[in-house]
Amino acid sequence: MQCPEALRVQAYFDGEVDAIAAAEIERHVDGCTECRALLEDLERTRTALRRDLTDFRASPALRARITEALNEESSARTSQRSAAGRASWRTPSFWMGAVSGLGASAVAAALVLLLFTPLLSRPLVDDLVGAHMRSLMPSHLIDVESTDKHTVKPWFASHADVSPLVADFAEQGYRLIGGRADYLDHQRSAVVVYQHGAHVINVFSWAADDRNLPKSATRDGYHLLFWRTGDLEYCAVSDTGWDELQGLVQLLKNLSSREHPE
Amino acid sequence: MDDKRGRFEAQVLPHLDAAYRLARWLARSPADADDAVQEAVLRAFRAFDALRGSDAKAWLLAIVRNCSWTARRGEQRRAFVPLPEDGDVVEDQTMIAATPDPESAAVHRDDERTFDRLMASLSTEHREVLVLREIEDMDYREIATVTNLPIGTVMSRLARARAALKARWLQEIEARPHAMP
Repeated sequence: MQCPEALRVQAYFDGEVDAIAAAEIERHVDGCTECRALLEDLERTRTALRRDLTDFRASPALRARITEALNEESSARTSQRSAAGRASWRTPSFWMGAVSGLGASAVAAALVLLLFTPLLSRPLVDDLVGAHMRSLMPSHLIDVESTDKHTVKPWFASHADVSPLVADFAEQGYRLIGGRADYLDHQRSAVVVYQHGAHVINVFSWAADDRNLPKSATRDGYHLLFWRTGDLEYCAVSDTGWDELQGLVQLLKNLSSREHPE
Repeated sequence: MDDKRGRFEAQVLPHLDAAYRLARWLARSPADADDAVQEAVLRAFRAFDALRGSDAKAWLLAIVRNCSWTARRGEQRRAFVPLPEDGDVVEDQTMIAATPDPESAAVHRDDERTFDRLMASLSTEHREVLVLREIEDMDYREIATVTNLPIGTVMSRLARARAALKARWLQEIEARPHAMP
């Protein structure tokens, strides 16, 4: 049976936790022989891999091939540009020709990945889902446990970089169960945790910047809804249905428009 | 040389060795790895305008991974042994030459072979995250970018990959007690 802290210990070993979590994990490892052994294994495996695995390098022949291919590509682009000046309808066919030679589906996949998804929001969505999943691991859901917004709100003041809207909607089926600080997008985001039936809803908040975030996203069965209030960006994450998630988001939006009428 | 080419060479090509290492551990042969890297660099060049401020290394490795997996898809499963072959450029030659004791160099060589073999015996999914984390020293977010996986999956896959490697290593030690480092 693996210690439920094993993934956190691994994250600690990989330098993925902040100082507060690191201190917690160190305390845990002190008292857990299994996790101490895990840390030693991780260290030995890393040392052995870094020392003993063959260090492959791109050969000079490969480098030469690549330089040549890039030269061809550059000159093709130049002639394409001058051709485009004369007949602009040629441009798509040039690209189709270039693409079809390479395994069209793979190239299409790469282009969709690289060009059409907002590059910046992509890792953020991953991070939010990752943080949501981590929060569901034993004893990671809540740092301050309370159904009282007057307890949760001041706690954020000392533990997070932002001060989000906190309210209990128990009557409407969304019970406030506490708050947490998560390191997200290079800041200590405030997370308000709600329970809805058997589901946990994490409402993340962080200082908004000028990035365009999606309105919604789905990743690995988790739904994400984004909205902005004032200078805060909010994101609600859960495995509830869209309607249930939207229900909470609407309550929060209504409340903030009452508290801060624009 | 035009401006785009110059920027591409400055930002992306420094990661060519990393690209090759990943391709080498995903491909079935050095020739396949060469092909995957060349194709990936060309695609990267064509899509270079989309890179903007993102991390060039993670971006290039994501394309390398795409090309490598595409090349593998549809192929018959066969034994995977990416042990160094003649003609492979292996960087640690100088390290061995500089080692005063030729015997310890030979031992190092042996360990190297052992770990290459252990890595080769893992699934491609496990090899991939191990190379990115332990050899390329990428953090979870970068690995998530390269593999197009959520961070939670990166964490659990990495844990399983490390456990699998450790299990193979223990088997090896049991089979050849003197192989213990």
